[in-house]
Amino acid sequence: MELTDADLIARVLANDDQHAFGELVRRHQSSVRGLLRQLTRTDVSLADDLAQEAFLRAYKNIRSFRGEARFSTWLYRIAYNCFRENARKRKELVGVDEELLQAEHDPQTVDPGLRHDLMHALNLLPLHERTAVVLCCQNGLSHDEAARVLDIPLGTVKTNVLRGREKLKRTLAAWGPN
Amino acid sequence: MIDDETLDRQLRDAAPYIDDDGFTARVMARLPAARREPRWLRAMILLGLAILGSGIAYSLSGGFVREGVIQLSNFPIWLLLVFAFGCGLVVGAFAIIFALRKTPEVRDLARLRF
Repeated sequence: MELTDADLIARVLANDDQHAFGELVRRHQSSVRGLLRQLTRTDVSLADDLAQEAFLRAYKNIRSFRGEARFSTWLYRIAYNCFRENARKRKELVGVDEELLQAEHDPQTVDPGLRHDLMHALNLLPLHERTAVVLCCQNGLSHDEAARVLDIPLGTVKTNVLRGREKLKRTLAAWGPN
Repeated sequence: MIDDETLDRQLRDAAPYIDDDGFTARVMARLPAARREPRWLRAMILLGLAILGSGIAYSLSGGFVREGVIQLSNFPIWLLLVFAFGCGLVVGAFAIIFALRKTPEVRDLARLRF
């Protein structure tokens, strides 16, 4: 029988069981790294560094996890905070979206399919809308969970998701049914 | 125009599973060293402190404890046995409660829904 996240967390808390924590990392690494890759606009190296930092912080602060939210939601919050701190240091949090709207994209990523167009359109969204769309639409968090991760009001999350979706739909209108 | 459901599905499909590719190992290598304090050492420290505390309490009581023990020796043996058994029950109950609180497997059992 596979242990639940709660079982593994309990083992970490009771015995400082690093193998149990390793299993938690294995389970959640893909979604956390995926989120950070979206936030950093596919800067894989930076995203993985931030993901490592996020998991280290999670390990050090695991006693503060009270189990009120899902473990993945708690991890997303830590990962998002890591991203914000890093962005502040790099002074990229403000104004970065407009710069990147004009940025040229890596020719290796060019792909004629919908997936490429979707990811391209997603990368063009402002950070707050992109983050909300990635958390709610891509990772399946509820609006309430996303509000907790981002530490913003629920209404703001809903607005950001709605606006982000509309922009994506407009950009991808050509792919819709005629 | 694409509807919400299709858009969400496409977004989920566009985020493929990322292979671990050594990521977990790199995180594990950076974790601080785990506590390696042996359990028997902790138990011995607790026992030693309990004995030391009892000794100090006895010496500071000024013969009160000694007189109490002498008076107890005058009680009938069955009463002493009942008293000892009662004390054992109380201490055992506390021990079981603390053990349950510190044992994840037992704690999880309490959350089972039948």
